[in-house]
Amino acid sequence: METFLIIGGALLFIFIVLYNTLISKKNQVDNIFAGLDAILKKRYNLIPNLVATLKEYMLHEAGTFEKITSLRSQALQPSLNAHDKMTLDKELSSMLSSLMVTVENYPVLQANENFLHLQHTLHEVEEQISAARRAYNQSVTDYNNALEMFPINLLAGFMRLEKKEVLRIDVAERENVNVKNLFR
Amino acid sequence: MATLSSLLEYYYETMQKALLPLEEERKRIVKKLQTTAFYIVLGVIVFFIVLHKQMHFSPLQASVFSVMSGFLIFIFIYRYEKAGFTAVFKDQVIEKLLYQIDASLIYRKESFIGEQEYRRSELFLEAYDRFEGSDLVSGSIANVDVRFSFLHTQQKERDSKGRERLETIFQGLFFCADFNKAFKSKTVVLPDVAERSLGVLGTWLQGMNGTRGSLMKLDHVEFEKVFVVYGDDPIESRYILSHALMEKIVLLQRKINQPIYLSFVASRIYIAIAYTKSLFEPILTRSLLEFSYIKEYFELLNTAVGIVEELKLNERLWSKR
Repeated sequence: METFLIIGGALLFIFIVLYNTLISKKNQVDNIFAGLDAILKKRYNLIPNLVATLKEYMLHEAGTFEKITSLRSQALQPSLNAHDKMTLDKELSSMLSSLMVTVENYPVLQANENFLHLQHTLHEVEEQISAARRAYNQSVTDYNNALEMFPINLLAGFMRLEKKEVLRIDVAERENVNVKNLFR
Repeated sequence: MATLSSLLEYYYETMQKALLPLEEERKRIVKKLQTTAFYIVLGVIVFFIVLHKQMHFSPLQASVFSVMSGFLIFIFIYRYEKAGFTAVFKDQVIEKLLYQIDASLIYRKESFIGEQEYRRSELFLEAYDRFEGSDLVSGSIANVDVRFSFLHTQQKERDSKGRERLETIFQGLFFCADFNKAFKSKTVVLPDVAERSLGVLGTWLQGMNGTRGSLMKLDHVEFEKVFVVYGDDPIESRYILSHALMEKIVLLQRKINQPIYLSFVASRIYIAIAYTKSLFEPILTRSLLEFSYIKEYFELLNTAVGIVEELKLNERLWSKR
C-alpha cells in the first residue's frame, strides 16, 4: 500500500511540475505578446501626428495617408486576433517605411523640427518592436519545443494545447537599424 | 583612439629620451635589490647558524625561522623601493600614454571606481572583504561620459585546514559609461562557463540561477556560445542587446581574449575585463627602453578608450540625445 502511495505521490508531483511548466511557458508567450502589442500601440499613437505633419507637404501622397489611417484604425480594434494583428502590422510597417523613403524627396521636411522629432521617435519604437518580436519568437520556440518533448506532449495533447507560429523577421530587421543612416 | 604608428613616432622622438633618468632609477633599484638579496642570504645563513648552534633549535625550525625572516625583510624593502618607482612610472608613462591617446581624459593614479558603482553594476554579487583599485581615467569620449580604472575585490575564505585567506572575486579593468539607449530594467551578460563545459546540463543549471533573474536565450549563435544573459525584462534585454551590439561584443571579446562581464543597469553600461595580474604597474625587471614593453600599456589603455567606438556607444537613440 505504502509503495503505491509513494509511486502515486511521485506521479502526481511529476504531473504538477509538467503542467506548471507548460502553463508558465504559455503565459510567457502571452505576456510577451502583450508587451509587443503595447509597443505596437505606441507606434499607432504616433501615426495621427505624423500623417498630419506630412499631409501639409506631401500633397501627392493623399492615398497613402488614407491607407495608413485606415490600417491604423483596423489595427486598433479590440476584437482582432494575434494573427490578424500581425498581418495588419506588417502591412503598416511596409507602408511607413516606403513613406519614409519618399520623405527624402522633400528637403523642406528635413528642416521641420516637429517632423524630425516624430521620425526619430518612430525609429526608436521600430527598434523596440524588433526587440519585442525577437523576444516573442524565442518564447514561442521554447513553448513549441516543450510541446514536442516527451512526456509533456502527452499532457499537451490532453490539454489541447497547440503549437504557435513564430513571427517572420525580415533580414533587414535582423541586421538592426543603422543609426547613422537614420539621423542623416 | 591613437594608432600604433603614432605611438611609435612619439616613443622614439620624445618619450624614450624623457625615460632615460627613470630607466637609470630602475637599474639602480634592481641593483640595490640584488645587493640586498645577497646580504639577506648571508644574514639568513648566519641567523640559521646562531639559531641552530647557539640557541639549539632543530635544523628544520632554524631554517624555517631564518628563511622566513629573510624573506619578509626582502619583501618589505622590495615593496618600499617599488612603491616610489611605481608612482613616478605612472606619471611618466601611463599618464603620458593616455595623453597621446586622448588628451581630454583625466588620469588620477590613486583614485578608482567607487564601491557604489561596483555594486550598482551587479556584475559580481559575492560580498567582498577587500576593495582596492587605482588608475582612474575619466572624461568624455565622443560625447559619452566614461570612467574606468583597475579594480581588485577579494573575499575571505577558509581552506580545508581552517586557515583564512583572501580569494579574488574580480581583478582587472572596470569600465562604466552612459549607454546609448534609455531603459529601466537590468540585463547582465556573463562569460558562459557552464554551457561550454557541461553542455545542455549547463544551460539547465543556468536557468536555475535565481539570483540573477531570468535566463535569456538570444538569437545570435556566436554570442550565445560565449556568453550567458540574465535579465528582468525579455523585451528590454533584446532592445539593449540588438544583433549589431551582440556582434560587436563578440568581436571585442575576440580582440581582448580575456573573460568579459557586461551589465546594463538604469541606462548605463558596465564592463569588467578580468585579468590575472595588476594592470598599469611597472615590471622592475623590464627595461623602459624596450618599445614592446611600453606598447603593452598603450594597447591596454587604447582598448579601454576604444570601447566607446567599438560598441558604438556614441550613436545615441532619440530619447538619449
